[in-house]
Amino acid sequence: MDKLPDPVNYAVPAFILLLIAEMVISRRADKSRYSARDTLTSLMLGTGSQVAGALVGAGVIAASVWVYQFRLFDIGIELASWWWAWALCFFLDDLAYYAFHRSAHRVRWFWASHVIHHSSQHYNLSTALRQTWTGFFSLTFLFRLPLFLIGFPPAMVFFCAGLNLIYQFWIHTEAIKRLPRWFEAVMNTPSHHRVHHGVNPRYLDANYAGVFIIWDRMFGSFVAERDDEPVRYGIVKQLGSFNILWAAVHEWVGIAQDVWAAPWRHKLSYIWREPGWSHDGSRTTSAMIKERWAAGRASEEPTE
Amino acid sequence: MTIAELIQLGGSVVAVLFVVWLVGKMGLGADPRIADDAHAIRLAEEAEAGFGGIEVARDRAGFAAIVRNAAGRQLLVRAHGNHFAARPLDTNVMGRLDKDFLTLTMPERTFGSVTLHLGKDAGMWASRMRDLNCG
Repeated sequence: MDKLPDPVNYAVPAFILLLIAEMVISRRADKSRYSARDTLTSLMLGTGSQVAGALVGAGVIAASVWVYQFRLFDIGIELASWWWAWALCFFLDDLAYYAFHRSAHRVRWFWASHVIHHSSQHYNLSTALRQTWTGFFSLTFLFRLPLFLIGFPPAMVFFCAGLNLIYQFWIHTEAIKRLPRWFEAVMNTPSHHRVHHGVNPRYLDANYAGVFIIWDRMFGSFVAERDDEPVRYGIVKQLGSFNILWAAVHEWVGIAQDVWAAPWRHKLSYIWREPGWSHDGSRTTSAMIKERWAAGRASEEPTE
Repeated sequence: MTIAELIQLGGSVVAVLFVVWLVGKMGLGADPRIADDAHAIRLAEEAEAGFGGIEVARDRAGFAAIVRNAAGRQLLVRAHGNHFAARPLDTNVMGRLDKDFLTLTMPERTFGSVTLHLGKDAGMWASRMRDLNCG
């Protein structure tokens, strides 16, 4: 397999400098944007994610190389002659990311891994680094396999995935309000991604994009940020803890407890149904929260 | 893990500790308090859409509050970092009364226990906790 450097490693110094710059801005604009304990939890989860990646990276590469042997097309990796393939790979990898990300919010098995990233009630650049430890275990790499089947070399796909991750770093901020309209129309921005991290009923389950917001606009999951409704961040049931290990595994523990306690015919549903689903209706899914909220709004509207 | 990866990990931990130290040094953070009953009801509503709180027992210092709705359900709201977190009070929660203080111990260990200074109302809210347990 061709070998390319991981672009994320080169971006780390810039991540740290931007983080410090955002802290300086927060000191002037709003000191509550940062909390030392929250930042420690986020950054240690990011560090743990690095370790997890190093431990299972070989497995992901092996799986991708194995799938790649069944490819439909032979695509080269040299930028000069295959520039269009690089651009296409980046574009399709972002579509694969959208599919992964939407599933990560709609299927509890994938959510158990992804919830780590949403478990902070803050929204700053340290939140961007709050990354999963259990991505490999939850099999999220499956979403990229079609790219190898098409024929994009694994090294190219992993490089594009690294660029995608780098792009997503800077959008985790409240320091940038809105960008020019043409940019907001096509690209994922801080405003769009704030909505994605919101727990306000209006903002739940929206804006799954990685780099291009066009996927949300195409597939009906786009919601615009409103100036009259500030985003509240986190998860529906806020973690209420800065415990790093608990943040990393709490949803897996929840799944195990639910599967253990559920009647046999409902056990699997606690794995593949949406977060918040329960066989006796005692819990609330995001769809139920949105319905309840919409009903409340309708009853508040004046009648003729 | 290779030696290079271990060095990278060590560098990451040092960078993390430096950034966290800087957050403290720059005085970033907040000390959130529940200002009044309306604030507590709003926080309960944010935690559970449609909760509809009607009665509040607020800790004297504003660190936490119990909010009750018309159906008799109760929600504990407490400060967490710069924000707030909430949990329903049910039969799994242990309540302990000590004069004007009511301590609630949640079954979720990481959420911890919360002591509310409720003054003379502490006894009434403690008995409500007992009612929960008596079913």
